Amino acid sequence: MRGLVALLGPAKVLGTHDDLLLYEYDGAVDTATPDAVVLPESTADVAALARFCHEHAVPIVPRGAGTGLSGGAIPVEGGVVVSFARMARILEIDVPNLRAVVQPGLINLHLSTAVAPHGLYFVPDPSSQKACTLGGNVAENSGGPHTLAYGVTTNHVTGVEIVLSDGTVARLGGRAVEDEGYDLVGSFVGSEGTLGLVTEITVKLTPLPEDKRTLMAAFPTMDEASETVSAIIAAGIVPSAIEMMDQLATQAVEASVHAGYPLDAGGILLVEVDGARDGLDDTRARIEAICRDHAASEVRVATSALERERLWAGRKGAFAAMGRLSPDYYVQDGVIPRTRLPDILRLVKDAGARHGLQVANVFHAGDGNLHPLILFDSRLGPDQLERAKAAGLEILTACVEAGGSITGEHGVGMEKNCFMPLQFRPSDLAAMHRLKEAFDPAGLMNPGKVFPTPSRCREFAFASTAR
Amino acid sequence: MTATATRAIPTDATECARLLAEATADRRTVRIKGSGTKSYIGDVGATDVELGTERLAGVIDHVPADLTVTVGAGTRMADLAAALDRAGQFLPLDPPHADEATVGGVIAANSNGFWRARYGGVRDLLIGTRTALADGTVARAGGLVVKNVAGYDLDKLLVGSFGTLGVIVEATLKVLPLPERSDGLVARFDRPADAFAVANAVTRAASRVEACVVERSEDGPWRVAVQARGSDPTVKRAMSDARREVAAGHGEAVELADALVRMRELPARATDGALVRVSLPLAASAAFAESAVRLESFAAVIVDAASGIVRVHLVDDDDDAVIRDAEALLLAARMVGGAGRIERRAEQLRSRLLTWPNRPNGDFLMRRIKEAFDPAGILEPGRSAFA
Repeated sequence: MRGLVALLGPAKVLGTHDDLLLYEYDGAVDTATPDAVVLPESTADVAALARFCHEHAVPIVPRGAGTGLSGGAIPVEGGVVVSFARMARILEIDVPNLRAVVQPGLINLHLSTAVAPHGLYFVPDPSSQKACTLGGNVAENSGGPHTLAYGVTTNHVTGVEIVLSDGTVARLGGRAVEDEGYDLVGSFVGSEGTLGLVTEITVKLTPLPEDKRTLMAAFPTMDEASETVSAIIAAGIVPSAIEMMDQLATQAVEASVHAGYPLDAGGILLVEVDGARDGLDDTRARIEAICRDHAASEVRVATSALERERLWAGRKGAFAAMGRLSPDYYVQDGVIPRTRLPDILRLVKDAGARHGLQVANVFHAGDGNLHPLILFDSRLGPDQLERAKAAGLEILTACVEAGGSITGEHGVGMEKNCFMPLQFRPSDLAAMHRLKEAFDPAGLMNPGKVFPTPSRCREFAFASTAR
Repeated sequence: MTATATRAIPTDATECARLLAEATADRRTVRIKGSGTKSYIGDVGATDVELGTERLAGVIDHVPADLTVTVGAGTRMADLAAALDRAGQFLPLDPPHADEATVGGVIAANSNGFWRARYGGVRDLLIGTRTALADGTVARAGGLVVKNVAGYDLDKLLVGSFGTLGVIVEATLKVLPLPERSDGLVARFDRPADAFAVANAVTRAASRVEACVVERSEDGPWRVAVQARGSDPTVKRAMSDARREVAAGHGEAVELADALVRMRELPARATDGALVRVSLPLAASAAFAESAVRLESFAAVIVDAASGIVRVHLVDDDDDAVIRDAEALLLAARMVGGAGRIERRAEQLRSRLLTWPNRPNGDFLMRRIKEAFDPAGILEPGRSAFA
């Protein structure tokens, strides 16, 4: 602590008990208190800090806005939390090359707002985009509702500057679509802060679509809604978003946001198509017809930007609205092949019921990325969170057995690292660990994340059930 | 190294991995061969073993409604295309050597075509792999689903690794339904500035085209080829936008015919001289192409206007002129923030013109990664000279 102050000055280091408490949690359910918090203002600060930590064998845990949903920013093995709150500038908007160069602490939405006057935007739009940072997006390979047609973070990053755990600064990739040699940028994105600290990011900017069509369709049950998703995709339509919500979620959303979703529907779809104006109405009509073929009781098309925003406000405010139903929730992020939606959704409901808990579903149906919100009330006793976690594990097991993944966009973090053996065999994990050793041989970057740790994972002994 | 390699043709991942473990134990070098269409890339000599992937072929799993397909790495792209076509789908990837190339080779060489800006490249379409490693283990990465962040993205590491980290045995890719309509044009321009202005406008238009390529051969005019595929109204709109831009740029449009295929297959034809391939920031490609045309040994230039990949074919009786011009182009690419390689060169130039004369960003990490995956250095020696 004193060494850090001597190195970086008192203004960049936090160490009092009260200060540290603010950094012991993120958007997930686990907590741990850091030994110190550092607020670097430059790449040089980050490199100096890394060299110091390397010399003293202290773990380094990078942190953006702390909105992560897998405990990625939690210093589970102690050490220094590095907050990028003071490295939040847009360094360059390069319109001719369709690129922007930004610092990691920049808030996601601020980038799209800044480039909108040029008719451009940054595609990944996590629900937390008003708060989450680009550095966090790179670490987690974040998605969002509109990544179905245009890809997630890794498809929109062409270059990074990183600081390794020994203080080495490296530039990977650049403004061109690719560099020669191994795709180090692609290997780094989604590494959850375990390979290095990102200090600068070069992202692709995409021309804003000329127009959009947004529609909401209500179905008697989740089965019809699920089958509609498959039918839309199979018809050759790739919407920019297909979101699904069950009745429990709809009721919570309506009570808080008043998006105008029908309360009696068993399942609701929110579908958006965008692109050139020509053909959009044609596509919208085809989607409407598919919805009606699958017993939709109501199809409502947004006729103004205001109506579109209202429909989306319900979806984006859904997690926050859960407070209406239950004081706590535990959200899972499993992925399944789209065609398995109906049976897995039934299984999700049953898993909750077996543990005496309700489950609400609000998720990215178009790419099969579930977000079951397992509702619990920690005031009723310590076993509530345990029950929620047990139901969550059953759901993830089913996802993997269906040929899917334990996480689609929230990351493994410390929440699911013990579950990695569900999806990967020891040889798969060993191959991943070779990459870890190449970047971080000292093992100081965000320890206790992604890979199973013997101390915390003893109670879980899985054999991979992946297909 | 021996002059004639032993040929090994594994039938599954386990056998493939065992062969590699034995090679590692005996320190025998291994070349991995699909159809051998891109064997001109890299600075490789003879190896002790040639590992053929032809028995690791065939569609393993295709669920049309999930828009994914899992295939053996030795599957020929043409065979995969035929299987997908029967289900009304296609793999949105148009690499050179499109018919003969194998899926594994296309991934290992990160071999893309002109559709990249519209559908994504190999790295964006690949969602899962099974790979035999030098230590005899088999590693799976990614999976069968289109969205997945569990663990490191080793799929990305394999794309463009040229077999230097392992033998890709199986791959899962995203596919799409076949578009209902296709249209295109090719337009001639007197002035390069007009050609590039048109290409720039077309690639950024709201009506997204599938391909937009600028080309010039030695004595020919500047030409811009445009192709649009999709639903009827979107294709009509894209082509009407393109024709308007062409007219505004004083171009003369004619039928597309097989122009794009010819442009795409330049690497297959470029057996003489040298073929330089660079990736550039988008806005740098026009000036780069114009200066390439003025080089002594200039023969042809092909610019993928949507992704910034530029190929220049250099041919001259004087080898020194080819070498000088090739080196100048790679230097120019670096100066504008791009990167490149000598993708192909005539046999007599091999020793004088290395594929990767320059090291890319982060080369020290690449060396460490290679060391971690293949400590004995048996896999494709020379092919990873970029590190």
